[in-house]
Amino acid sequence: MSIVPKETIEVIAQSIGISNFSPDVAPALATDVEYRVREIMQEAIKCMRHSKRTILTVNDVDSALKLRNVEPLYGFTSGGPRQFKRAAGHKDLFYVDDKDVEFKDLIEAPLPKTPLDTGVITHWLAIEGVQPAISENAPIEALAVPSDNKKSEYKEDGLPVDTKLPVKHVLSRELQLYFDKIKELTLSRSDSILFKEALVSLATDSGIHPLVPYFTYFIADEVTRNLNDFSILFALMRVARSLLQNQQIHIEPYLHQLMPSIITCLVAKRLGSRFSDNHWELRSFTANLVASVCKRYGHVYHNLQPRVTRTLLHAFLDPTKALPQHYGAIQGLAAFGPSVVRLLILPNLEPYLRLLEPEMQLEKQKNGMKRHEAWRVYGALLCAAGTCMYDRLKTFPNLLSPPTRAILKSNKKILPTKPKINPGKRKASTDNLMQQPPLKKLATDGSMGVMPINSLAVDKQGLTGGFSTSTAVGSSDVGLSSMSQQLASENISGGRREVGTRALKASAVLAQAWKDVNAGQLSASLFEYFGESMFCFTPSPELSLFL
Amino acid sequence: MEEEEIEKAVIAYLKKKGFKQTELAFQEEHHQHQNQQTKNSSSSISSSTDPDIAKHILSFSESENIPARYHEGYSKLRSWTYSSLDLYKHELLRVLYPVFIHCFMDLVAKGHIQEARNFFNSFREDHEMMHLRDLQKLEGVLSPSHLEEMEFAHSLRQSKVSIKICQYSYELLLQYLHKTQSITMLGVINEHINFQVSPGQPASISDDAEVVTLIGSSQDDANQINQKEIHWGLLEGSLEERLEKAGGLLSDSEKAEGEVKETDTEENKKRSAEGGKQGSSIKKLKKDKVVGAAGKTARPEANAVSMAPRVKPELALPVMPTEVEQSILEDLRNRVQLSSMALPSVSFYTFINTHNSLNCSSISHDGSLVAGGFSDSSLKVWDMSKLGQQAATSIMQGDNDLAPTEQILGTSGGKRSYTLFQGHSGPVYSATFSPLGDFILSSSADSTIRLWSTKLNANLVCYKGHNYPVWDVQFSPMGHYFASSSHDRTARIWSMDRIQPLRIMAGHLSDVDCVQWHINCNYIATGSSDKTVRLWDVQSGECVRIFIGHRSMVLSLAMSPDGQYMASGDEDGTIMMWDLSSGRCVMPLMGHMSCVWSLAFSCEGSLLASGSADSTVKLWDVTTSTKVPRSEENKSGNTSRLRSLKTLPTKSTPVYSLRFSRRNLLFAAGALSKSG
Repeated sequence: MSIVPKETIEVIAQSIGISNFSPDVAPALATDVEYRVREIMQEAIKCMRHSKRTILTVNDVDSALKLRNVEPLYGFTSGGPRQFKRAAGHKDLFYVDDKDVEFKDLIEAPLPKTPLDTGVITHWLAIEGVQPAISENAPIEALAVPSDNKKSEYKEDGLPVDTKLPVKHVLSRELQLYFDKIKELTLSRSDSILFKEALVSLATDSGIHPLVPYFTYFIADEVTRNLNDFSILFALMRVARSLLQNQQIHIEPYLHQLMPSIITCLVAKRLGSRFSDNHWELRSFTANLVASVCKRYGHVYHNLQPRVTRTLLHAFLDPTKALPQHYGAIQGLAAFGPSVVRLLILPNLEPYLRLLEPEMQLEKQKNGMKRHEAWRVYGALLCAAGTCMYDRLKTFPNLLSPPTRAILKSNKKILPTKPKINPGKRKASTDNLMQQPPLKKLATDGSMGVMPINSLAVDKQGLTGGFSTSTAVGSSDVGLSSMSQQLASENISGGRREVGTRALKASAVLAQAWKDVNAGQLSASLFEYFGESMFCFTPSPELSLFL
Repeated sequence: MEEEEIEKAVIAYLKKKGFKQTELAFQEEHHQHQNQQTKNSSSSISSSTDPDIAKHILSFSESENIPARYHEGYSKLRSWTYSSLDLYKHELLRVLYPVFIHCFMDLVAKGHIQEARNFFNSFREDHEMMHLRDLQKLEGVLSPSHLEEMEFAHSLRQSKVSIKICQYSYELLLQYLHKTQSITMLGVINEHINFQVSPGQPASISDDAEVVTLIGSSQDDANQINQKEIHWGLLEGSLEERLEKAGGLLSDSEKAEGEVKETDTEENKKRSAEGGKQGSSIKKLKKDKVVGAAGKTARPEANAVSMAPRVKPELALPVMPTEVEQSILEDLRNRVQLSSMALPSVSFYTFINTHNSLNCSSISHDGSLVAGGFSDSSLKVWDMSKLGQQAATSIMQGDNDLAPTEQILGTSGGKRSYTLFQGHSGPVYSATFSPLGDFILSSSADSTIRLWSTKLNANLVCYKGHNYPVWDVQFSPMGHYFASSSHDRTARIWSMDRIQPLRIMAGHLSDVDCVQWHINCNYIATGSSDKTVRLWDVQSGECVRIFIGHRSMVLSLAMSPDGQYMASGDEDGTIMMWDLSSGRCVMPLMGHMSCVWSLAFSCEGSLLASGSADSTVKLWDVTTSTKVPRSEENKSGNTSRLRSLKTLPTKSTPVYSLRFSRRNLLFAAGALSKSG
């Protein structure tokens, strides 16, 4: 009837030596024992509450016993929960496992550490009601999980729970090691075989995604710091290339950090400090890297290529920039392919060459170094223009065939008429020229390309003054045929030397030429600039035509 | 043969009660009687036995199956109640609980222990939700003597429960009882329940909070007590009031501040002459200047406080030194105005390496001192400005108050970051700072209260008076007086200069667990394990209010700064807001999952902060509920609810104490408890 069975009373009685007592005593005692136990527990709970705890301890029971003027129970401590063990052979008999402790062991055991002294630390739990995300405060997840129902309550009140999310990025130990190793290799041992393997790993490993932000930052940081160290720059660019090659990682969000460093390696004034540094190679390498980036991510960031080309074009067209910078810009633009070269380089080829020419000549440029640079640039230009021409000739192998010529003729007819119609409005006419359909088509290739050309053309108009109309006509004439016409144009231009310089004329020729999509004429004018060296870019059948 | 039956019944009764001699005597007499009867056949005399008595005796004979009748009667009443009309059901259901516990106690009292236990177990589930704790207590009652001994059961049996019930429900109940002839139930109900029959519609379910708690004193008494007049207003000539007056002039505030500065400089001179004696006050100024820097922008308006009426102090209150007054005024001027939109900053003091021995903590008014009471009988005080200074020494350097504090540290053992106060011989259950921070009181399980000086780092007085552990001690808002509460079911008022208590407040039916002063020092509130909160007049020592509504022991109390409201927190995590003048609960605040250890009102009374064992500090908006609906209150109780504004979880640190500084910075303290 009570939770204390009377058998327990009997057992306890026997254990203290009382064997014979009347049968009524046990039940009477059992009920009383239960009542007393409950009473003590009630007091113990009070003590627990006043000790500001929610877990009852042995101390609370002792305090409760003291309250009742009962001797507390000694020998029990508030350690962990007691481990009860089932007695072997009995289903529901349990005992507390109490191991014998060797007295010697106890004495010889080292003294336990003294417990740490109590201290008080202070922190901001909230600042004007908002909990700062510091380590002393509970993490947000812990907050959010148990308070799901509470949250809805807040919503009722119209008070959003605004807690600042901690900005924490957990990087595994392995990745940290990997990153440190790559860093070390890049900065100090970029010529080792290990570095090559690292590059392969960077290009193929799918697990390094968490490191991408660190790598981009690393590259950006080291490039700015090591502009004088060629080998590091080269190594960094190779790391960048490997990262960009990696198909598994998602580098797009970090491109904006990466691109400036790469462009720097392309068009910086100085890359490396020593004369022996082959920065030309680095520039070529980086040019290809830029092009590949634009190819790969151009569809994601539509303004990526225009922005890059604009930057490069500015570098190319700025005469105050050093020749290596020009070289880089040309290489970069050339890497984008023939259409970009056609759009952006060829129109500017002529004035540029004029600038470049004196640098290349032994008598005019005494500095061998400068001359070397100029030749380098010249080579790059040649290469770019040549590839471009080759491409055109490849695409339109029958350009030189009669039907095309017929079209060209009709074209020619239209073209010269316009200036005639509006002879007074020369400028407008040129504008019209610019806005002709083929141009529009080209504009889709690189919308950005239109502007500089436009302005360039206008500039030219301004420069050339009154001769432009005639040149236009002349150029159209030039457009009539290929080989012979080239000669003719030469004649014409030669004939009009008094009107303007040959070069200027030729520039107009060029401008017209690519507008007319006339590869023949293009190659012709290119031959004019580069002479024999152009032949190597011409496919053999066409070459035969030329010859 | 009616007579024979009666005789049998009587014999059986005597047998059962063990009156053997009486039984023998009775049988002897009976035989004689029978002989007599045979002798004089005309035995009309014997039949003259009063038929009523006969019936009575017969009904007694049925006492053989008393337990069965209780059981049956109750279960019938129960099923009838459950199948009654929905409209009246909840009123009738209220009757069940008192009937249930009284049936149980009757059975116990009559000695049917086993049956009582069976009865209890078969129906306890019905009431577990509402009355779990009471049931747990009653469960232990296993003999008639326990009933006498156990305060709770005793008081239950002594008093009547009053239940509000509407006319129709009452009639329904009576009709049922008469129809079914359930005399036992009728007896129980008549004996222990006092129906307050009200005409009209049954009351709504929600406002029966009072019915839930069965208290020793009857509801009537409580109501009568609650009719008494109390003056909840603020003290005349309080600093706040003076500040307001000054505030009127403060339109040219620069001038006033200039004055203050002048006095300040004078005081500084004085101070330097007196050495480091007032060190703490300067320090406080310094500290709060940092704290209140943000508050400069917000001009105190304190209109909420100004509405409160003024009362005269009933006690002779201590006079505050002028320089302290000035510093407090300065604090008040720089107070940050808090509202539901402008939440306070909370600075948390975490006790580490307490090894589960921290029993209480207390924070001084300016937050510079933190005291912890430990179960190893020690009291430790940390000087927080000191701690901060160890990290950054440069800030405080050059202050002339540094030297003495350093000396103190030197004497207290060099390495220790705290000052150790030893003297108690039992766990320290409570500590409180005097308003100026120069004294600490601590109460302990050794039934004493000790007064310590933070300047001398020594025990000054030991107050003996309680007979059992002193659970709580609180300084009055003006200092000098303090109140204590104890396991001996009393609360006592003391003054610092006497070792005997000035007043003893007796009346609670169980331990007085917490005590709190009213803002005007004329009243104290006590929270008890009997689930009530009482308000006592300090001057007369009388109980002037009983607040009934909590369902478990009351652990914390806080008074609103305008003196009109009181908040109390209990073991279940419920916080109740009380209107002192009406004695009614404004609104229960639910939200905490565990014991509410601490409550604090912000200085202008717009926010209530609560700290709980569930390791959170919650901020509640109390303006919406208390100030706004006061006009509506008369109409239909309280429709608007208090809002929980914010829950600030700690990293497994139960919040032991909270304190708003005079500039409305909230300080909280707790011991880091490692789970597992």
